[in-house]
Amino acid sequence: MREAVAQVELIPVNQIRPIAATAEDEREFVQALLRKDRKATAEFVDRFAGAVHSFVHWRLSPSAQQVEDVVQEVFLEAWRSLPRYRGDSNLKAWLLGIARHKVQDHFRGALRQAEWDESVEASQVAPAAVENELMYRERSERVQAVLAELPEQYRVVLLWRYWESQSAASIGAAIGKTEKAVERLLARARAQFRARYGA
Amino acid sequence: MWDDQDFEQLARETTEAERPAAPSLKARLYTALIREQQASGPLEALTETRQHGRQLCVFEQLVTIAPMNSLQPVFYCQVCHARVLAERLDRPPIWWPHCPYAHFQ
Repeated sequence: MREAVAQVELIPVNQIRPIAATAEDEREFVQALLRKDRKATAEFVDRFAGAVHSFVHWRLSPSAQQVEDVVQEVFLEAWRSLPRYRGDSNLKAWLLGIARHKVQDHFRGALRQAEWDESVEASQVAPAAVENELMYRERSERVQAVLAELPEQYRVVLLWRYWESQSAASIGAAIGKTEKAVERLLARARAQFRARYGA
Repeated sequence: MWDDQDFEQLARETTEAERPAAPSLKARLYTALIREQQASGPLEALTETRQHGRQLCVFEQLVTIAPMNSLQPVFYCQVCHARVLAERLDRPPIWWPHCPYAHFQ
């Protein structure tokens, strides 16, 4: 134990382990995961949790609990799908592909469950507060903050349509609505966003 | 101004910046993954993990010198206070080497 404690001074707790640099390294790493090597599993989480969390957080905030639940679903789905991983893309891109599917599942559920409330108007918005609070923030953070302030159905349809590049027709097909209905929702969402963004 | 094309451009120009995940989130993800792995069979034996060049924590090293090989696939972190602390705190008082929960900080 004394020896172990002595080593602590030489090994910073936040030390970053070498990442898989080549395709061969990555294949060996995947094999270690499939063997259920718990240290490789820890490295898998350490290497990719930031990317997956950032991706999901940007799209699902402000609900921190939903973000964490989806991030966990992404990692569990990755483990279940790992035997089918062929290495066509790097692990990070592959994981973000799973994250994109999970986020879209969430969008689908959110828009299906939501009452499509057409009474929410831009006049209820207080754009000045958002403008002042975010004056010095970067544009992406500002956009994210404005999206987070929108009613969920507006936030989701904007993210799904523009940030996930899905057409109104495909969104409509996924949630059992017509393209026209999605376009009307998008028009209201854009107006809400514009009013809050203050552009 | 602010029609379909404006939003498409805004989406292209704004997206997430990658930031580190909270250590407590990493700890919970790791535990959840290990439990999922256990659901389909035992974990890799610790001696095999060491043979593949991975370092073990002090408690895992103790397990490897125990006479019963059947103990090795057990997820000992399940009963370790390091896991409990790390899943709740972003700066848990864990300082021994090669503990994954310490590494997440």
